[in-house]
Amino acid sequence: MAIAIMLITGIAGAGVYVMKLRADNATLKANQIELERGIESQTKLLEQQKKDFNAILESNKKLNALVMTFKKDLEDLDKRFNKGKRDIGKLAIDRTGAIERIINKGADNAARCVELASGAERTEEELKATKKSEINPECPSLANPAYVPYE
Amino acid sequence: MYHMNKILLIALMIVLAGCSVGEKRVKIFSVEEPRAKLNLPKPEALDLEKVRWIIITSENAEQVFAKLEAEGIDPVLFGLTDKDFEMIAKNFAQIRQKLQETNNLLEEYKRYYEETE
Repeated sequence: MAIAIMLITGIAGAGVYVMKLRADNATLKANQIELERGIESQTKLLEQQKKDFNAILESNKKLNALVMTFKKDLEDLDKRFNKGKRDIGKLAIDRTGAIERIINKGADNAARCVELASGAERTEEELKATKKSEINPECPSLANPAYVPYE
Repeated sequence: MYHMNKILLIALMIVLAGCSVGEKRVKIFSVEEPRAKLNLPKPEALDLEKVRWIIITSENAEQVFAKLEAEGIDPVLFGLTDKDFEMIAKNFAQIRQKLQETNNLLEEYKRYYEETE
């Protein structure tokens, strides 16, 4: 009788143990799937972060380049007024008509630069300009981004 | 009496077992809804009026005023010295650069937040 009870208890115990193992197995499988999903989403996140980082770098680079062109444009403008011993006032007294034409042309070019800076479309003529005589000298990089300045 | 107790015990077990069923679990789904895009229209580009500069010296002053009168324009001019003209040209250039910089910043923000999604 006692042996029978022990046998039944043993079989029941083994059954319960097997069921526990199966439950553990199912939990581990679920965990595995969850971990794989986690790794996948982390990889995606890392890729996105890398893309974002590159985009930020690229934007900074662009803006820095833009600020550099601003500096150059201002220096060029200063040169136009003060190159060597140039005195625009004296020049205007000596060659009034010519300087007036130059000033008006320059003012028109500067106004066009403001229009372009505000988002105006570039004309075909502006986009085709490759020579110094063709490009808007007030803002060459803005008038035609493909323009390569030369001395 | 013995049977009565047995029935009561079974009934009690059934009642208590009923408590173990419990409530239904509430599941909350969180779906990420992206923020609506601002999509403001791009500001219209400027279309500036043409300004005419007149250079006036002590020598050509009379001639300039006479020409203005002949053209039916009030013979009055708002003057700048050559140095002030230089300053106004540089100020104009700086304003234009600031406008360009702001526009570029806006474009970069738009590109970063809207195109990478």
